[in-house]
Amino acid sequence: MSDRPATTPTETGLHAAQRRTDADAPMLRAIDVRKTYRLGRVNVPVLRGASMDVQRGEWVAILGASGSGKSTLLHLLGGLDRPDAPPGGGEIRFEGTGLRDMSRRALDQYRRRRVGFIFQFYHLLPELNVMENTLLSAMAAHSMGAYAANRGGLRARAESLLGAFGLAERLRHRPAELSGGERQRVAIARALMNEPDVLLADEPTGNLDRKTGDAILDRVAALRGETGQTIVMVTHDEEVARRADRVVRLEDGVVVRG
Amino acid sequence: MYQTLLIRRYLTSRIMPLLAALAVLLCTAMVLIVWSVMGGFLNMLLASGRTMMGDVLISWPVVGMAHYQELIDDLEADPLVLAATPIVESPGLLATPDGSIAMVQVIGIDGRGYDRVTGYSDAVWWRNLEKPMPRDTDGDDPRLHADFTGVFEDALRMSGRDPRTGEDAPAMVLGVEVSQLNQRVPGGWYEPRYLQLRTDSATLSVLPISARGVAIDVQARSFPIVNQFRTGIYEVDARTVLVRLDALQEMLGMAAATRVRVPGSADADPLGLGVTLDERGEPVFAQPEIVGASPARVTTVLVRAQDGVSAQRLRDRTAEIYRDFAQRHGRAVPSPDSIPILTWEQRPSIAAFIGAVKKETGLVLFIFGFISMTSVFLVLAIFWSMVSEKTKDIGVLRAVGAGRAGVAWLYLGYGLAIGVVGATLGGLLALVVVHNINPIHDWMGSTLGLVVWDPSVYYFFEIPNRVEPSKAIMVMCAGVLFSVAGALLPAIKAAHMDPVKALRFE
Ligand SMILES: Nc1ncnc2c1ncn2[C@@H]1O[C@H](COP(=O)(O)OP(=O)(O)OP(=O)(O)O)[C@@H](O)[C@H]1O
Ligand SMILES: [Mg+2]
Repeated sequence: MSDRPATTPTETGLHAAQRRTDADAPMLRAIDVRKTYRLGRVNVPVLRGASMDVQRGEWVAILGASGSGKSTLLHLLGGLDRPDAPPGGGEIRFEGTGLRDMSRRALDQYRRRRVGFIFQFYHLLPELNVMENTLLSAMAAHSMGAYAANRGGLRARAESLLGAFGLAERLRHRPAELSGGERQRVAIARALMNEPDVLLADEPTGNLDRKTGDAILDRVAALRGETGQTIVMVTHDEEVARRADRVVRLEDGVVVRG
Repeated sequence: MYQTLLIRRYLTSRIMPLLAALAVLLCTAMVLIVWSVMGGFLNMLLASGRTMMGDVLISWPVVGMAHYQELIDDLEADPLVLAATPIVESPGLLATPDGSIAMVQVIGIDGRGYDRVTGYSDAVWWRNLEKPMPRDTDGDDPRLHADFTGVFEDALRMSGRDPRTGEDAPAMVLGVEVSQLNQRVPGGWYEPRYLQLRTDSATLSVLPISARGVAIDVQARSFPIVNQFRTGIYEVDARTVLVRLDALQEMLGMAAATRVRVPGSADADPLGLGVTLDERGEPVFAQPEIVGASPARVTTVLVRAQDGVSAQRLRDRTAEIYRDFAQRHGRAVPSPDSIPILTWEQRPSIAAFIGAVKKETGLVLFIFGFISMTSVFLVLAIFWSMVSEKTKDIGVLRAVGAGRAGVAWLYLGYGLAIGVVGATLGGLLALVVVHNINPIHDWMGSTLGLVVWDPSVYYFFEIPNRVEPSKAIMVMCAGVLFSVAGALLPAIKAAHMDPVKALRFE
């Protein structure tokens, strides 16, 4: 962990201490998670008791067919959505704390600081340029005063991230002026901006050709080599999944070991 | 933090919300223009009513009151009083040089005294000009000549050369709209033509009324026209004729006169004709005996307050002074309990009118304010569709950790920004329009043949063209508030959006 660049001033001592004590426990756990969608009167169970652990520093791939509930699981892990109501909904734990027990504000904080999302369709804001899209997560994480005070450092971090993804020349461009691969690299930079504990990637290369996708995954892997970033990556592509340390399969709403 | 950035970007990159700003702009401008014009109208009305009448009036119509000069001296000795002046008011008939005959309100004034109380000299129209009028391209306007000065002086002296006798005589000053010679130019604007001052005269007829209210006999007299005046109130300018006070007093039988009594017993002269028959039956004319002087009378005394003294305070003081004055004169002057001493605003004709205008202003403002509520719904509709369109962005914001309140603030702040932009531009637009409302109206009249502001309806020749800062601030704040109100519901909708559904939104 010590090799992570200490550019984020929010990296508190407490945070670091907690990390050390929980070092061997799984960082992120899904325990018997159930998620049922309701379509009119019909209940559509998507997750039927999915359980998985993610260790700190691990790269886990979740492999599954289309419609198997991969995105659903990822949203649950990232605190964007909640499992079915207890009892029986199961739970998601981050460093031992159940997300269900978090207040709304704490859950917002969790999404700001602990996780970084990457989506299949990039989801950049069209009005903002590359730099601003990258800074967006930092802006959401800081109050106006704190952001202004750390503006220089945050911009430097955004620039170095974008530079690492080969976008140094495109900082002022709008998403509409970028190719799909470039857009996805901006989205990854945005997800990494706040140095999240875990990167949640939902088919990050699913919309790109093999060559572009591979190049991006190479960059992610290289970056991970430097920082030890924890990654949970959803994919339906066996080859992409092979890059991970560990692959789990999502079948019939439960996680099956790869 | 991200809110400020996004609001800035939304403002510069999107068209629809600028339409919302346009709606706010138009509503703000509309209300401010209406309020400025109507409110300015009211203010002009108040100012003009005061200009013609001074602050306080003591009036005893028709018969008039005597010893007014003594009353005026008493009043002017008081520290609250700046000046006081006598006038005589009477209806009359005017035969103008162009051959028309008009019913007019005749006011007998002492020019300089009237000026001190009412600022009459400002209303005198014909006077020397320093430089040619913009429309006078040849520079042949007689007002540019040095010998024109006498015309203005004549208006203050209320005297001029009688064209028939060539002698200096009591003169007449007409309201600028009285004579048909003055026509409105096509744009609806009034431009007095040069009257044949010093060579024109007009005949004025008035009806003296006895103390018992009986008409005595029509008195007609020709006066040289020496000038014209313009107060800006159409009603006054079209119907008022000023003549020298002493001349009107004479015509109305209000001048000072010697009171005589014819001696003789009631038996010998039952009819009181001053004629008796002697023994031979020849009539004997009695020599009238002078028993006193009947003092001159006026119908009204106008009083002007010192600066900073309210009309109401002056009225109360005037009533006290009159009480003392009446005590000295007993029955020779109207009783202090029955004579009306009013501030100019309290005169029944003005009070009713001002009240009506105030009510009308309030009503129109209410209606326009209500119409402006449409801007709330416009902002609502536009923001609502924008929130729908931006669903995915909202999902992204939530995914990077934006809270519900943060998303709500984004749209509220955006509404605020739209409101501020719209209200500011609307305020500016109103300012420009109100400042140039007369040229604009002029232009509308000449090109579209549209004359909205008819002076005979609205009393003034010019549309009020001042925007009061306090009104501007109030209207602009309301505009901003309306915009934020319109953004409220969409903001709540955005805040309650489920982030997962938002991200899956196609
Ligand atoms: N809001 C919803 N209401 C009803 N059903 C839903 C809803 N969201 C997802 N589903 C259903 O849940 C199932 C799992 O969806 P999910 O998006 O998690 O699948 P996925 O594994 O990510 O598929 P893909 O590989 O195509 O992205 C699908 O069958 C989908 O129809
Ligand atoms: Mg999916």
